[in-house]
Amino acid sequence: MSCSGGCHLMCSPVKILNMYGRKACQLVKEFASGEKGQLTPFNNDLFEQVVSECSQHHLELQSLIRKMQEEGLDVQTARNADHYGALIHLFSIVRNKRCLTAYVYNRAETVRNLLWKIGPVLPKEIEEKLNHWEEEYFKKHSAALKSYMSKALVDLTVDMVPPKDPYIQVRVLEDIREGIVLSDDKNPNFARHSMHFLKRTDAEKYISRGLMEELTG
Amino acid sequence: MASYYDIDDILVEEEIVSVIFQKAASGVGIDPSSETDFIEAGSKVELPFWLAHELQLRQAVSVNVPPCFNQKTRLEIQADCACVDLRSRCPYFYEFGCKIAPIVGDRTIGFLLLSAFKNRYKEVLTKAHTATIAVGSKFWTILTKEEINLYETAQSAMASFKKWRMGGARFQIASILGRKRKPTE
Repeated sequence: MSCSGGCHLMCSPVKILNMYGRKACQLVKEFASGEKGQLTPFNNDLFEQVVSECSQHHLELQSLIRKMQEEGLDVQTARNADHYGALIHLFSIVRNKRCLTAYVYNRAETVRNLLWKIGPVLPKEIEEKLNHWEEEYFKKHSAALKSYMSKALVDLTVDMVPPKDPYIQVRVLEDIREGIVLSDDKNPNFARHSMHFLKRTDAEKYISRGLMEELTG
Repeated sequence: MASYYDIDDILVEEEIVSVIFQKAASGVGIDPSSETDFIEAGSKVELPFWLAHELQLRQAVSVNVPPCFNQKTRLEIQADCACVDLRSRCPYFYEFGCKIAPIVGDRTIGFLLLSAFKNRYKEVLTKAHTATIAVGSKFWTILTKEEINLYETAQSAMASFKKWRMGGARFQIASILGRKRKPTE
């Protein structure tokens, strides 16, 4: 930390109590270091370490409270050294909890956005970054959206700006063989470099996945 | 009040401050090299802000003014505000300042933040609109996290404006994929 610069002189050595919550903060930093809207692989290892740090704090907290009880003190009102020690452990747990939930919460937001930006099929390199629960969450979120759209009879994932022309000219950037679903039930050959005149709504999902590009002008 | 899940807010509160314990505390691992797990009253300890703040509310510690708001930094900011490397002093200079000011009870921090921001804001916006990436990248190593957000917002506003004026493809590859298109032909 840059703020802890050694420009203060004093007779007694400075004690440092900044190990608590350090790992949890690393986890948050890791999320923050990625570009906006991008995911880094879920750090299971560090996540587990923070959780076990919480359990450790909990044990120490309990043992301090027990010590106070054994000394016959009222835990609610006593303000001795053990009380303040216990407080430090309590705040460390609360802090770790905030970091852990923030990590999961912010990732979940990104995962939801994936659905809107890329569609229900994730490319492999992104899917690898999700942990098991996030994959499950993504699938359920996508199922929920799909069932809502089929009830409401409207496709919410298309572009918000009304098009000038319902058809656009596109060029295929990579061979697309599987899962071609067009609204007119045709089955064109999307070979690489081929050009097509497609319905805008059909082309959108391929463009956002980087498989086609729109030709303008 | 920032959201509970706000990443930046969490990182601001990780800044280290030095405090003096008014009360003793036991059963806490001070640092790995220390043999005792006891903090006597009156000892000087470095804590992350989140812990110092909670303990201060319970009158267990008194918080010292962090070095990034000391006299030396103030003089530098008065001298040539736009060129001071605030990031290395504290990456969240303004947010941290706002949080620390009521705790250390130093009213002058507010004025320091305001004058620093007013002077640097102009510079950030001008550079964001004019500087090329190479020059800009050198410049932005001295910006705080808040200023970088402003800088990026200004640049994306300019990019959106240009796109609106010139026109262009409505649809693009989702930014998250971020793959560069392979050169064709």
